[in-house]
Amino acid sequence: MAELVLEVQGLRVHRDGVAVVDDVSFRLAAESDTALVGPNGAGKSTLVAALLGLLPRQAGVVHLLGQPLGPQGQWPRAIRSQVAYLPQTLAVRGRFPLTVRDFVGLGFDPAGPGLPWRGGRRRRQAVDRALERTESLALAQRLISELSGGQWKRVQLAFCVVRPRRLLVLDEAQAGLDAPASEQFQQLLLELRRQEGWTVLQVSHDLDMVRRSCDQVLCLNRQLRCSGSPDHALSPQRLAELYGPGFVPYHHHHQPTPR
Amino acid sequence: MSGLDALQAALAQPFMQRALVGGLLTGCLGGLLGSFAVLRQLSFFSDALGHSALLGVSIGILLNLNPTLVLIPFAVLFALLVNQLVERSRLPTDALLNIVYSTSLAFAVVALSLVESYRGGIQQLLFGDILGISWWDVWLIAGLLCFATGYLVISLRAQVLLTLDEDLAGAFGVRVNLHRLAFIVLLAVVVAVSIKAVGVLLISAFVVIPACASRLVSRRLPVYIAAASLLGGFCALLGLLGSGLTNLPSGPCVVIVQFLGFMVALLLTRLRPAPA
Repeated sequence: MAELVLEVQGLRVHRDGVAVVDDVSFRLAAESDTALVGPNGAGKSTLVAALLGLLPRQAGVVHLLGQPLGPQGQWPRAIRSQVAYLPQTLAVRGRFPLTVRDFVGLGFDPAGPGLPWRGGRRRRQAVDRALERTESLALAQRLISELSGGQWKRVQLAFCVVRPRRLLVLDEAQAGLDAPASEQFQQLLLELRRQEGWTVLQVSHDLDMVRRSCDQVLCLNRQLRCSGSPDHALSPQRLAELYGPGFVPYHHHHQPTPR
Repeated sequence: MSGLDALQAALAQPFMQRALVGGLLTGCLGGLLGSFAVLRQLSFFSDALGHSALLGVSIGILLNLNPTLVLIPFAVLFALLVNQLVERSRLPTDALLNIVYSTSLAFAVVALSLVESYRGGIQQLLFGDILGISWWDVWLIAGLLCFATGYLVISLRAQVLLTLDEDLAGAFGVRVNLHRLAFIVLLAVVVAVSIKAVGVLLISAFVVIPACASRLVSRRLPVYIAAASLLGGFCALLGLLGSGLTNLPSGPCVVIVQFLGFMVALLLTRLRPAPA
């Protein structure tokens, strides 16, 4: 049986005194790619924020790599360093004097106090590799404020993969990417899972991509409405239950990404 | 006596030497803190802090205490309260800051009107008196510059992530609240300490202009921070020398030099080829 990376039991999270996520339980096995789907306002980003320790929880137990999430939502440092996160939007306002290379280097050792030039050679090699993997090496000297939306997403992914980690959490990270870029993004996630044992949890509205690429789906609308394989969880009947009876899924035509 | 002779005579005076060292350090400090304040869109916050400092000075005068000593705890407390207000209120930050600083300015003017004779005068509060700073003030600014440099260097990665996105920073283990508050407190202390030299009205220029000029021309973050700091110090030095040469008010002379520096940076960006 595959190792358990994340285990959530009876999670409840409030925003402004209202339960936005209620009684949610699920498990993520190592190297799996799980999609979190649901209508707008279903609590997907809130659930992700609680898992990352950015929001306190009102009830429930969360274990990551066997370690429990603290009462105030804090992970032990060793566990936190195993998680990478790509937010829905990362807006850069105005000219930002930070090159792509320097930004990706921040992901190498982002949190702790320490001299900024620490880990020099290892950091440079890791940054080059991360930029190569995300096909962003040509952008290395550009400012992050000079990138297009798709380039910026690739660079953010390089920031996440610049060091080995166990869990990658993506909050609608592929929104705004064109079809080839989205496909390339999924290929890289597959490579990270197969070759380096990463586990992926991604919030997504792209049900076609979820069908093609993910091996588990969590349907959330405040509570977990259903879960399981894409064929099971994204059946017309379950989608109608999740999004409402008038929902008709639109299908794109793509080459499938192997799961 | 020619202008140059007058300048040489002025430079021989201890008060001018103190002013030059103090101006250089205050300019460097303003540029250093300004580099992150501008990226985090805290320019108006530093302006509001500066204006509200007048209330702190007024309280000091009313209580017959050294205004500088009252100003530091006042500015820190004020910054923390405003930060709480911005976080808890659902109003836009600029509107809230406007309410807070205009109200505190009103209270300050009322408080000052209760004092029959204030030795320093309102002019000195508004535009500063860098020629009147003591060696104690200079050492205080130097100590603060050392502390701020050390803190920002050691926490540089956290500061950059925090500037980009608080959730991203938090997810990667940055202690968001601690660093955000530490920076705001540091900014408040810098504003409070610099008020005597720079004045209430011009303090935000020391924080904003060198950082904006540096932002226009820098491509790497360490260069941006260092250039903002050095430009702040250099402009202060040049402005003070110009003031000594022309016998014009020192604070405004420094700000005019900073503005000229900003215009040069703007011109350089026009001459630079666009990125491929």
